[in-house]
Amino acid sequence: MEFTAYTHSANSGNVNCNNVSNSHNNIVNLNQVIADENPEIMRWLSPLDPRRRHQDVRTDRFDSVGSWFLESREFREWRSGEGGADKAVLFCYGNPGVGKTFLR
Amino acid sequence: MIDSLCDEPSEEDIAIAAFYCDFRDHQEQTTANIMGAILKQLVARDEVLRHMQTAFQKAKRELGGRGLRLPDMVRMLKQAIATLPQVFICIDALDECLSKNLPELLVSLKDVLRGSPRTRIFLTGRPHVEAEILRYFTTGVTAPISPSTREIERYLEKKLEMDTMRDAMSDTLHADVLKIIPERIHGM
Repeated sequence: MEFTAYTHSANSGNVNCNNVSNSHNNIVNLNQVIADENPEIMRWLSPLDPRRRHQDVRTDRFDSVGSWFLESREFREWRSGEGGADKAVLFCYGNPGVGKTFLR
Repeated sequence: MIDSLCDEPSEEDIAIAAFYCDFRDHQEQTTANIMGAILKQLVARDEVLRHMQTAFQKAKRELGGRGLRLPDMVRMLKQAIATLPQVFICIDALDECLSKNLPELLVSLKDVLRGSPRTRIFLTGRPHVEAEILRYFTTGVTAPISPSTREIERYLEKKLEMDTMRDAMSDTLHADVLKIIPERIHGM
């Protein structure tokens, strides 16, 4: 299911990554359907499956961690693409345990 | 981060691919496999899938399904991205990527960005990889992450609330935990 979570379309009205609530969302589910139907190709592309890790992170995350970051100028500029191609890469650094992985 | 991007109400159609580097998995986490894992998350478009199926059948015929080499992978990823309105790529814990692989990964990402200026890449890692990243993305933006005091307090309050042996803790200890831990973390 998590595969699907990474693609969404605002056209569907309700944009949500939650597995339960997006079951009605066809576009969101498309990626998963394709992945399921083509297991051979998926394995050929890569043996790695980041879906599982993302699920673990979501389970362990304390909600709203890093919400301040989403409000930051750096993030907003990166997200909106204001800075163009020059600002395409955003690197967040910190020591182990500060919450980099768990930024929501 | 991924969930926030997903949840965000927006007018645009966006695709998000995420990857978590893990030092325990060096053997499998080659640059080609990482790029492949990203590509796997972007196959929702018919034309991408069709292209992939053709490439797969061809590889199977030619060399009995040989694995993809990095240049093939980067090329396919670029083709996939070109069919999507906007792609966000998030890679966590770059410091856990083998140091001998990191330049290769960054060069590949740079290659992917070339020709698709709308693509956004979000990276995280310990401070020591910053220089390496800026070597390849000279105009990249970097930002330090540290939890806010309020965030730590809220986390502690929540944990204390869930404590199954609440009576074992006196009010003084309770207050001390809420005071001292945030202070210490701030000094980190």
